[in-house]
Amino acid sequence: MKGRKTKQLIVCFMGLFLWWSLLFFSPTAHAGSFTEKHIEEINLLWQNSAHAFADVNCSSCHLQPETKQLIVSPNHESCQSCHKQQVETFLLGKHGIRLQEGLSPLTPAMARLPMKEAAGDRQMNCNTCHDVHSANTFTASVDSCLTCHNDSHSLNYVKSKHGLLFDQGRSLPKPTADLVTCATCHLPRQKIEGTKTIFVNHNNTYNLLPRDRMVKDVCMNCHGMEYSYNSIFDDELVEANFAAPPTQYLQTLEMVKALEEKRSGTEN
Amino acid sequence: MANLFGRAFKPSQFLQSKFAILGIIVLLVVWFSVAFALDRRTIFLPGTTSPGHVLFEASCSSCHEGFSPVTNETCLRCHEAEMAEDAHGPKKFRDPRWADLLTRIDVLTCTACHVEHVHIFARGVHLKPDLCMNCHEEIITGELASHDGFAPDGCWTAGCHNFHDHRSISTGFLRQNMNAPQLLPTPEVPVLKEGDRPTKPPKPDLNQEFLQAKFEIQNANLASRGKE
Repeated sequence: MKGRKTKQLIVCFMGLFLWWSLLFFSPTAHAGSFTEKHIEEINLLWQNSAHAFADVNCSSCHLQPETKQLIVSPNHESCQSCHKQQVETFLLGKHGIRLQEGLSPLTPAMARLPMKEAAGDRQMNCNTCHDVHSANTFTASVDSCLTCHNDSHSLNYVKSKHGLLFDQGRSLPKPTADLVTCATCHLPRQKIEGTKTIFVNHNNTYNLLPRDRMVKDVCMNCHGMEYSYNSIFDDELVEANFAAPPTQYLQTLEMVKALEEKRSGTEN
Repeated sequence: MANLFGRAFKPSQFLQSKFAILGIIVLLVVWFSVAFALDRRTIFLPGTTSPGHVLFEASCSSCHEGFSPVTNETCLRCHEAEMAEDAHGPKKFRDPRWADLLTRIDVLTCTACHVEHVHIFARGVHLKPDLCMNCHEEIITGELASHDGFAPDGCWTAGCHNFHDHRSISTGFLRQNMNAPQLLPTPEVPVLKEGDRPTKPPKPDLNQEFLQAKFEIQNANLASRGKE
């Protein structure tokens, strides 16, 4: 009798386990349809965008080239047909790696850095940062980042010198080279290997560590080497988003200076 | 036997514990199969995944092919750019002067320093931070006066030296770029090339198709927009 009871208990537990496991996996789908007003709004955004002027029409992204089937929400693969390096690099950074590895898109809720609660379930794909219909690079280079990121470095950007510069340029058609956006430093412009073509490296993780990667590729486009290194190796200054000039002079730089003096001394 | 287990041990209890053990085994098998079937593979992780890889730790096959060891090729699938200029690459160790040093620490194998799912010191390195001392101990013990008495774990943790790509932190680079002003006279940000813009955009070409389309929106962003 006792054996049978145990068996029954085991079966019960197994059932419970199965039910619990199934709870992990519950797909959510929303039925939807577009109204004329919605499409008009999108058309208006698109008509003033770089995409429209480059002759990238609705069908360029929303129509499957072979089957001619409508694609309601195109994914990064569609963008990749024109923006190859941008998508390739995006997929290698924290923002895109989950897509590259066949998992669900990244959401701010999965992040370890502080994120805005309201943005918790936003799914990371090209369209999340680039409103692809307006293709507005002001949005993509700052506003989109601050929709999710909620750490001190990000929040301090707005009042930093870089942020004030950016603000002054808001009325321009698009950010120019002298406006320092989040993307200027975190998605740096680079040469495509073996060519002279410049592209935006969308691997947001690439130049974070070691820190000299950002110094050479980004900071030194505008600042001297010593100023850059003294700033980027000051954690408090990084957190303040470089609100003030650096106050330290790195020992490494002092050593190089001493070496230089010694060499020029012996040469003379 | 009875003496061995003491007086408290009774056959009926043995029967019960056998079922308990069996039950646990069955539960584990079910739990593992369900985890497999439902793609909940994180329960198979042997330890904490490093911050760099944690976002895709549920995708075992990203790095593992069955139970065979992780190869350099696996790592390079994503880390090619970082390794483009490797100061400790194969070229360095083809030189007979350095070849022997590989016996101290096999730096040509990524996993010599970067093991996953174990305690990570920083930057995906699981070795103690004084790993450079395997080959470069003389630097801080008299060979280089300027480095006398430096901490053995400070070479890379202080930000002065990079193991792989040291182009932008080498002494040569620093010397070349000394004494530049805080702010350069003109920013030299690379310029993106733009094509010629036509004066008028074309007409949108899929309006009707969208109005007629019936579909299910899986994308949360799109769903919320549709409601607006």
